[in-house]
Parts: sequence; structure tokens; C-alpha cells
Amino acid sequence: MHEVVRRKVDTLTRRKFIQMTGAGAIAAAAHTLSIEEIANAAISRPLPLGTPILVVVTLYGGNDGLNTVVPYQDSVYQSLRPQLAYKESQVLPIGEGLALNGAMSGFKSLWDMNQLAIVRGVGYPNSDRSHFSSMAIWQSASLTASNTGWLGRWVETQKEDPLLAIGLGSVLPPLLAGNRRSGSVLPLGGLKVPTGSLASDCAKLSMNSPSDDRLTAMAARTMRNLFEVSAEVTPILKDPAPPANDLPTVVGGNAGGDSNLSAQLEIVAKLIAAGSPTRVWSVSLGGFDTHADENTAQSALLGAVSGSISKFMSQMRSTNRSKDVTVLVYSEFGRRVRANASQGTDHGTSGPVFLLGERVKGGFYGEQPSLQKLKDDDLAVTTDFRDIYAVLLEKVLITSKERVLGKWGSRLELIN
Amino acid sequence: MATVSIEERRNLARLSHRIGFGPKPGEFEELLSLGFYRSAERALAQAESASPDLAASLGLKDLGNQPRPNSPEIVDYVEQKRFQLRTMTLWWLDEMVTQENPITERMTWFWHGHWATSYAKVDEPIVMFNHVDSLRKSALGNFRDMAKAMVLDGALIYWLDGQKNTSAAPNENLSRELMELFILGVNRYTEDDVKQTAKALTGYKVVKSSGLVSRNLRQSFTGDISYLGTSGKFDAISLTDFLVNRRDCQRFIPERLWYRFINSSSDLPNNSAIENAFADRNILSSVQALVAHPGFIDPVNTQVKSPLDWLISVLRALEITPSQFERPDYLINLLNGLGQRPYFPPNVGGWPADEAWLSAASTQTRLAAADYLAKRGQLAPISNLSAAARLEGLANWLGVASWSERTRQALNGAIRDPQRLAVLGICSPEYLVNA
Repeated sequence: MHEVVRRKVDTLTRRKFIQMTGAGAIAAAAHTLSIEEIANAAISRPLPLGTPILVVVTLYGGNDGLNTVVPYQDSVYQSLRPQLAYKESQVLPIGEGLALNGAMSGFKSLWDMNQLAIVRGVGYPNSDRSHFSSMAIWQSASLTASNTGWLGRWVETQKEDPLLAIGLGSVLPPLLAGNRRSGSVLPLGGLKVPTGSLASDCAKLSMNSPSDDRLTAMAARTMRNLFEVSAEVTPILKDPAPPANDLPTVVGGNAGGDSNLSAQLEIVAKLIAAGSPTRVWSVSLGGFDTHADENTAQSALLGAVSGSISKFMSQMRSTNRSKDVTVLVYSEFGRRVRANASQGTDHGTSGPVFLLGERVKGGFYGEQPSLQKLKDDDLAVTTDFRDIYAVLLEKVLITSKERVLGKWGSRLELIN
Repeated sequence: MATVSIEERRNLARLSHRIGFGPKPGEFEELLSLGFYRSAERALAQAESASPDLAASLGLKDLGNQPRPNSPEIVDYVEQKRFQLRTMTLWWLDEMVTQENPITERMTWFWHGHWATSYAKVDEPIVMFNHVDSLRKSALGNFRDMAKAMVLDGALIYWLDGQKNTSAAPNENLSRELMELFILGVNRYTEDDVKQTAKALTGYKVVKSSGLVSRNLRQSFTGDISYLGTSGKFDAISLTDFLVNRRDCQRFIPERLWYRFINSSSDLPNNSAIENAFADRNILSSVQALVAHPGFIDPVNTQVKSPLDWLISVLRALEITPSQFERPDYLINLLNGLGQRPYFPPNVGGWPADEAWLSAASTQTRLAAADYLAKRGQLAPISNLSAAARLEGLANWLGVASWSERTRQALNGAIRDPQRLAVLGICSPEYLVNA
């Protein structure tokens, strides 16, 4: 049985992998939105206040969980990665012998406000250490890596609306891919639409043609999307972003340069504040595949994650939607406990997942994987990731978990 | 020529765009008169091998260690580096655009996406150039030679942290990708195989500026390893030999050829001639079998042109030689903006395919580029024709099988304006997607 499942992953992930790097045999084509289109909808049919919103943050590359939520008092942790292990003075203790990475002061404040839940040891049975296979499993919420994403399947349970679920970037993230309908994508930086005779030529060139095959029809439709925008809407994106009133002007010690994640969240913050009828947003940050010289790179990345998300939460508090927003942060796997010789770590198994928001019941969930009881040198999985998806589906997206996850019995009670 | 069927036109358009980089002016008409079989034979005739030391002839050289920040030498160093990267990029684009029979460059490009190594980390022009040139040398030769060259290639090792892999604490990055992405395919090995084979790859060191690879025996694991049903002493070469011998390798490389040249969303059929032809790991035989396979001319197997495919075919039609163009950097920036700059694959998995290239953002970029390039290219192949002959002339010039009624109407509106006609032709759905 086990072997059968593995083979299935094998054949499907080849394609899934390409989707991960951007392409794909995604069944339903993604609609590419323009800012104007979203702004228009925000004005004409704003999301009713009080409607829950989910923001999914995907960390690509396999984030090292042990240097994120750090078991700094554990002697095995110190001895298996002597040059990578953090000492007490370098981290932000949060109890139970654990501490947040020193770059995550933003998350620490949210923890102190009881708005951060940390689920420990999250993964799935028989961990797959391929980036592509593992990300396919997380994004499809299926151990056989179905070619639809879990939120794409959720989109299909809802009334058709291209603004319902939006991924930032030019490529549809696999988690938003559905069979017949998918989430939409919003390219960063927006679009400039041609005008004049080129525009009218293109309008003709991009019309439907009965002789088009699937890809040619898609090529025509993409061009149509570029032109089908309303020119008369308020350019909401030119408005300033909602202020982050309760943050100090200089954000932490690691504010550093602007990261792409903060640019993505800035747009999400503006569009949520404007009332975009969108219930799921997907953003991402890459670079977590730290096989070498891990600590500097990882703390810069975690600083960007913590800094941009806490700024985003603060921006939400200056709108009337701060109670509505829940943020999920995950990565495809954790990393090996033992360091390699390059001051880095290789692909591992389980890792922590973060949930943030005013409705989140702050605190620890799941058992911390024991460093005394490693399995093939790797951490045990103590919580299945679908327990988290289940509660998000039912408490945030108000949809029975079975409609998306199939037969799935349990959920973690971490949302009010 | 009026007797050529629509099917034959489509088959020849596939040959021209997928095995080549699209027709130069007059070339598609030649293919139409030769027919598919002879055209295929000609397309697959191996170009003569390039000069033995291309790097030196292009003036690429080891730039040595990077001078200290703010030192007097740093400015010259950085400028040389930038100049060399630009030179080798334009040289490659020139080869793709100007060669009569670009099969070697087509396959070199395919392999560049397969062993996807990026200058973004390698950061040394000559090392990156030699990596791709090594692929060029066996682009249609034996995959075994290629794999052995790659596992000792300075750029690839550096890219996947191989130089940091020591017996004291093996780094698994290279051993995993060697099996997953380069030779066998995902899940055709176990996690333990990854750990074991990493040991065979320990101790290899790279001189960053030259790409020179050597082995430090003190950091090399010298004991026995057990993996994939075998055990014994292995180094990079004997490990690669063993992996290439696996039956899974005979399946995997044809799968990748199928994915790139035929269909990215259907699987390679079992027991295909493409796989059989790869029994002795000969790449040319496998590519010949691919072109002869019924899948190659099956109407369902349409493909979206990747940004590089699109741009090179446009430049061939417009007779624009990249290095001679008034703003060569425009072309490099354009590829960068469209997400497919040579020497810069996005990750070790290589570039995506098909739908991924279809977004409103890329449509906007292509439109602007088509407008800019058509103003600067040779339009004689259509401007010399009477208005009545231009629709067919445009299709032959660009190597398009046929225009839909929709596109005909759009083109007819611009029939007296060759420049506008060219812009619409190269932005049309029928050109962007190879039917």
C-alpha cells in the first residue's frame, strides 16, 4: 500500500514540480487581475465587514524550524549543531524551553499579545524530502499530490467570483489551482495597458475563435484580460497604505532593506482596507533552502517574515477589519537536526507552523518533537498539517472540511 | 506549393520552431517544397563542432579573486565581469539567431534548462560559459559523457554546494538533485540512497574564479557505501556511471525530451521508440526517434513558445543579429523581464513551460517589444508582396501553419501597413502557441 502511494506521488509530482516552478498542467486557467478590476469591485461590492479573511504565507525552500522556534536549553540541540545552535542570549524566550529566533521581535510582540499560535512538529506521514514533492503535498493537501490545490478546491465550493482568492505574483501558486475554476493572480507592479490603434488591433486579435485549441485560446484570453479593465475607477493603489500606528517609526533592529514579501503584504493591506471582496490571499517568500552558511541568511529572512507580517497586522488595526484577518505561515519541510559541514542543514521533516490574528488563541499547540527520539536522524511529525487546514476551513472560510479535504476527522482548536 | 496540406504545414511549423528556432526569411517555403521527411533529416544533421576553445576566442578569462571593496582595482574588476557576461550572452543569442541549422544550440539550450545552473550564484563569467560549452560539446552525443563532465563541472558543483560536502558532515544538495532532477527522476531512489551517495561526492573542491575542480582526499569519504542495491567504493565518476546505467535513466531523459519538445502535461507513453533509442544513452538517436514519433505531429500536442523561443524566432524573421543591434542590452533586459535570461534559470528545476508564460503582464511586455523590434527589422518578406498575397506571405515568413478567422480579420485591418502587420503577426495567438 505504502509503495503504491509513493509511486503515485512519483508520476504526479513531475508535473506538480513544474507547477511549483511556475508552469503547469493546472486544469483551470488562472485569471489575471488588474488593480483597477479589484479596485472597482472594492467600490461596487465591498466585502461585508466581519467576513473572515485568510492570508497564506508560503516560505519556499524548507525553513529550518529548530532555528526558528529554538529549543535553546536542549543539550542535544547544542551538540548536534554546535556552530549553528543559538544561545539563550541570542534568542527571544517564550516558555517551555523554547524561544523565537532573535530576528523575530515582531512575532514576539504578537505572542505577548496572545495573538500568535505556534503549532509544533507539523508535517505528514512518510515525509518526502524533495522540495517539489513536499510542496505539492502541502499545497494540494493530499498525500498523493492531487493536481488541485486545497484552496482551489475551496474556490470551487463557492459562487463564481474571480476576486475570491488572489495570489500575488505573475504565476498562479498551486494551492489556488482548481479543476474547473482557480484563484486569480495579481502581478506585482500592476499593468500598463496599450492605447490607440494598437489597442483596437489587439482587441480584434484576442477575440474568441472556435478553431483555437486549449493553449491558443488561453493565449487569446490572456491578451483580452489585459484590455478588459475599467479606466474610470479610483486608482486605489495610489492611495497611501493604511498606517501602522502602533509600531515604532524604526522597526526593530532588523528592518533592513525592503523585502519582496513586505511589498506583497503592502498591496494586500491596501486592498483589504479598500474592501476588496477577497477571502483568501496568497503571498510567498523564497530562499529558505539553507544548505550553507545558514544563520545569517535565515535570520535575515525570518526578520523579513516577522517584520512584514507584524507591520501588516498593525496596518489592519488601523482599519475596521483587524478582527477579520487570520494569517497562516508554513514551509514545505523542516531541516535536519545535525548541521552539515557547510554551516548549513539538509532537508528534513517536520517544522513549526504559525497562525496569527485577533481570533487566534495564542500559545503552543502540538508536541515539540523530542531530540532524544529522532527517527533516521530526523524530527518526528507530531501534528498533521491537515488538522490546521481543517480548522481554517471551518472557522475562517466557513466551509465543511470534508468538502476540501475529503474524509478528515480531526482539527486543532486554535481559533475562536 | 498550393497543394501543401494544412497538416503538412503544421508538422513543418513544429519542426521549424521546436527543433530549430523558427524560420529565417524564405526558409519555410524551402521546407514546404522539401516535405517533412527531408526537412527533418536536414534539421537533425549535426552542425560541425565549434572551435575547441570558444572561451578564449571570446576574450573570456579567469578574473582572479575579487579585489577588496573600495580598493582601486575593484572598479576595473567589476566592469570586466559585466563586460564578459554581456559578451557571452550576446554571442549565444547570435548563434541561435544566425545559424542556418541551429540544432546544436537548440539542444544546448535544452540541456542548460536540464542541468539548470545559474550565474546568480556562480558569479564568474568564464566558469558559467564553460559549463554551458561543456553541455554544447555533448549536446547530441552520449549522455554518459555529459553526466560525467557535469558531476566534475565547477559551476554545477559550486551551484549545489558540492565544494562544501565533506566526509565529516556530508552536504546532500548535489547528490539529491543528481538523482532527482538530472539522471533518474523523483522518487526513483530512497532517502537513504541520498545520504549514501552524498558520501561519494565528498571532498571535491572548486576554485571559484576558474572553476577548476580537484579532490581533497583528507575530506573525502573512502569507505564503502550502499545504495540502490549495490555497495562498494565510489567517487563522483563511478557513481555517475552507475546511475546512468540504471534503467530509470533510460526512462527519465526521454521523459524530459517529451516534456520540452512534445507535451508538458501528458506523460511519455510506455515502451516508446524514444526510450528504446536511448538504450545506449545516445542523445541524437533519441531526438531522431522523438521527431519520428507520432506524438510529434499529433495535433493535440500544442506548445506555448517560451520567451526565449519567441524572441529568437522574431529576431530570425526580422534579421536582427543581437550583437549588431542598436541596443543589444535591450534584448538581454527583455529576456530578463520576460523571466528567461540565458545563464539565469530561476532554480535547479529549470524554467517552466506552457501556461506559465501566459500572463497579462508578459503579454504587455511582448506587445511593447514587438512594436519596438518591428520598427527596426527587415520587413521586405511582406512589404515586397501585394496586399492580396500578404496574409499567406506573413504565415510563411513567420512559420505559422494557418491563421484563424479571428486573426485574419485583425490582420486584414492592417494589410496595407507592413510594420503593423508584423507586430500583429508576432503577437498573434497562433504565433505565440506552436500549433
